Amino acid sequence: MSTRNLIQVTALTLCMLTHVNVMAQDSPGNISAFGNSSFAELKTELSGQPFVVSLWSVDCLPCRVELEMLGELKRQNPSFPLVLISTDSIEQREEAIYILEEHALDVIDSWMFADAFVERLRFSIDPSWHGELPRSYFYAKDHSFTAHSGILTREKLLELSGFLLVEN
Amino acid sequence: MISKNALGPLFLCLIIWFSGSRSAVAENCQSLQVRHGEDFISVHCGGAPSAAMDAKGRLWVTFVQDRHVYVSYSDDEGDTYFTPVQVNAIAEDTEYNGENRPKIIIADSGEILLSWTTKTSSNFTGEIRFTRSSDGGKTFAIPRTMNDDDLMTGHRFDSLFLTSSGRLYLTWIDKRDLDAAAARKETYPGAAIYYTTSDNLGATFTRNFRVSHNSCECCRIAIAPYGDDEVAILWRQIYDEHVRDHAIAVLGPYGDVAGLNRATIDDWYIDACPHHGPTMLESTQPGQYHISWFSAGTIHNGIHYGRYDIASGTTGAIIKVDGTPGAGHPALAQSDDTLYLVWKGFNGVASQLQLMKSIDNGVSWSQPETLFATESASDHPLLLSSANRVFLSWSSKEFGYIFREINQ
Repeated sequence: MSTRNLIQVTALTLCMLTHVNVMAQDSPGNISAFGNSSFAELKTELSGQPFVVSLWSVDCLPCRVELEMLGELKRQNPSFPLVLISTDSIEQREEAIYILEEHALDVIDSWMFADAFVERLRFSIDPSWHGELPRSYFYAKDHSFTAHSGILTREKLLELSGFLLVEN
Repeated sequence: MISKNALGPLFLCLIIWFSGSRSAVAENCQSLQVRHGEDFISVHCGGAPSAAMDAKGRLWVTFVQDRHVYVSYSDDEGDTYFTPVQVNAIAEDTEYNGENRPKIIIADSGEILLSWTTKTSSNFTGEIRFTRSSDGGKTFAIPRTMNDDDLMTGHRFDSLFLTSSGRLYLTWIDKRDLDAAAARKETYPGAAIYYTTSDNLGATFTRNFRVSHNSCECCRIAIAPYGDDEVAILWRQIYDEHVRDHAIAVLGPYGDVAGLNRATIDDWYIDACPHHGPTMLESTQPGQYHISWFSAGTIHNGIHYGRYDIASGTTGAIIKVDGTPGAGHPALAQSDDTLYLVWKGFNGVASQLQLMKSIDNGVSWSQPETLFATESASDHPLLLSSANRVFLSWSSKEFGYIFREINQ
């Protein structure tokens, strides 16, 4: 990662977030159940704040590439406002924790789908999402958002988060 | 007061009423568990069922429950089922989801042929498993692993097909070439498609043959006959390292792969797992296949239907079936001259099983009709053709497992 990128990410982090309750660091493997109203609640808690959502699954190889990047990002910028949601059933919690641990992402709060009616959970996040993974969202302060399908590289993250720098 | 003589007919009426209501009211797992306990094994409780009908009209269903594969049969086309038989005595981490489910075929001679994928780690590794029953489903042979590379790598998303000549084809997504490329420190987009065949209903199989490099890693493979002894398969393939459209090929008994070609040009640029495999059906026109698939590409977005012609290597008659975001997982079947296409949509509240038909070989289609709607979890819909009849095979939390004729 270039110095310029590092500065950009640091600046982005500082601009985006100073303190967000729902992302408070907690016990390892702190995974919450993601239900029909979870995303709306999350947005309420993050009202007026920008954040990035990464949707992943234990069964998704490209997601591992993205998790690796996000893990590195969180190590460098622990307060980066990242919302991690696994689309696996929360019954697979142990498997998810094992993967998150590999990328040191088990220390942050994250969510797992907790209703087998996944179509409705997906719809609650974004009605126009087809379910492909990884999928990410870039929420601005006013909660207007940009969606991205496929692996989120650090370059892509910077590109899609760029408008947040301008706004702030 | 009811006379004694009237009790007989009344009793008979009650029996008829109750027996009628038993088939009219769908069983679901929840109601069965209330009656029989939480560990009750049933086609209505199992995961990702698949169905087949034998030559005598008996319905066979396989499903996964508590890390075992089960087989159950019905002699009344799905109204009632006999006690499921456990296929694998030793529990294994059998995959069961919309794209990855146990498969079942009943040979005309009665052998019950099964394949499935067993997960072997959290890192996308798995093995392709096969077993069969030669005693009408009473017992099954110890399952065998069909991938012959002895590698702890990905072998998943199996598809099974029995040709009219009696040759069995088993194909799957395989990562042995990805591992080999990684060992050479070379990049290798996606996985590969492999297969094996058997000319004795699964007693023995050939070695594994490669069909293609660079398949997508996470979508089911569609399979249909090509002549009496070969098959055509359709799968999601990676083009130009990042575009996930579809490829087609004809597979012969001993590893001969012909007609490998791009079947859809959707331009879906994505480094992700779509978990949306295609469906295909042999047309009544020789060398032509009805295909239906999902894409979110720049050229095609949503579920589409088209007709692929092997000779010209092109897909024509393409129409958009459903472009709404929740729509996916099409299945095709044919009965007489009518084509049936079902898929699952979501309107924000309910999942809807949609059906449309064509009586002119896919040139024009009826308006979609909703077969079922449910506001809870449900599986992908499957279609099964048998003796000029078309059946829906579908599992949902609300209705349990449904097997129902749709061409009435």
